[in-house]
Amino acid sequence: MNSGESNPPRSALWLLRHACPGSHNQALTGDLVEKFRQGRSIGWFWKQVLIAMAVGVLGDARRNWPHISYAIAGTVIPAFLWKTVEGVPAFLHWWDLRWPLSQMAFEWSRGALLALAALPVLAVGLMISREFRWVSLFRTAVINLALITLGHFLLGYLDTFPSLTVPVPGNPDLRRIVILPPPVIKLLFISSFLVSAWLGCTSPRRTTPTAGPVDNA
Amino acid sequence: MPKRSYMGEMELMVLLAVVRLGDDAYGVPISDELLHLAGREVALGSIYAALDRLERKGLVTSLLGEPTPERGGRAKRYFRVTPAGVRALKMTRKALTSLWSGIPLLEGRRL
Repeated sequence: MNSGESNPPRSALWLLRHACPGSHNQALTGDLVEKFRQGRSIGWFWKQVLIAMAVGVLGDARRNWPHISYAIAGTVIPAFLWKTVEGVPAFLHWWDLRWPLSQMAFEWSRGALLALAALPVLAVGLMISREFRWVSLFRTAVINLALITLGHFLLGYLDTFPSLTVPVPGNPDLRRIVILPPPVIKLLFISSFLVSAWLGCTSPRRTTPTAGPVDNA
Repeated sequence: MPKRSYMGEMELMVLLAVVRLGDDAYGVPISDELLHLAGREVALGSIYAALDRLERKGLVTSLLGEPTPERGGRAKRYFRVTPAGVRALKMTRKALTSLWSGIPLLEGRRL
């Protein structure tokens, strides 16, 4: 129990402000502070903050399910289609093309095809949720290709530092980057799809200004 | 005919609490109302999530009050039911009453 004028933990307030999705965070924080000063414990406050975060994240996921489906599809599809797209650079005769087309065909074509393969999942999701717009799909594809290209060249750059790489077990010709184990690569991959869908499908909205409360807790 | 808004159990309880509280409907009294009348201790985060969904469906509106010192200088957000919210409540009550009626088990009669 706490006395009437004590303040809740600063770190919990920081989490509420910065890591808790939702449109009424200030009001929620005010309500929690009011209840806390009525005699609730620090444990109660932390529990409420964690529940608010979990509920906020789940609510966001429920609202943005087409984006999440797109990110999951974009991460899963390469595992199934890699064999199919592996020969694409050779199919394009990259060695006959002029630079930079040759390098793009060799290094970029497979990633681009895999990224585009997940787009129908996003399109269907947006259609079901009645938010489909061609421009959203186009923007998502462009942003995704840009992020995949950036990631590809960043990995290629890190690969040039021998101290950062270790041999792949069972295949001495291949080396992998130490600081980026496979789960981290997958996480970066899924994040790039999520960011692309979020940026590509978000349209600028007009917001009405409201009087913001003074934060002195 | 306007599109019908369906409500989950939590949304229904929160909306009823908003109606009961009238002009004083903000997070803390709504949570107290749910505890005293429905016997459910609901986290404030869950109440705001339900209010957020109700607001998106157009069943409630909200208004920011004045900041107060006992809330660390944060304003209360007051919620009020809309005419669409009242209609949704009446339709839900009608549907639930129809479903409940004529069930011997729930009326204390033997099957």
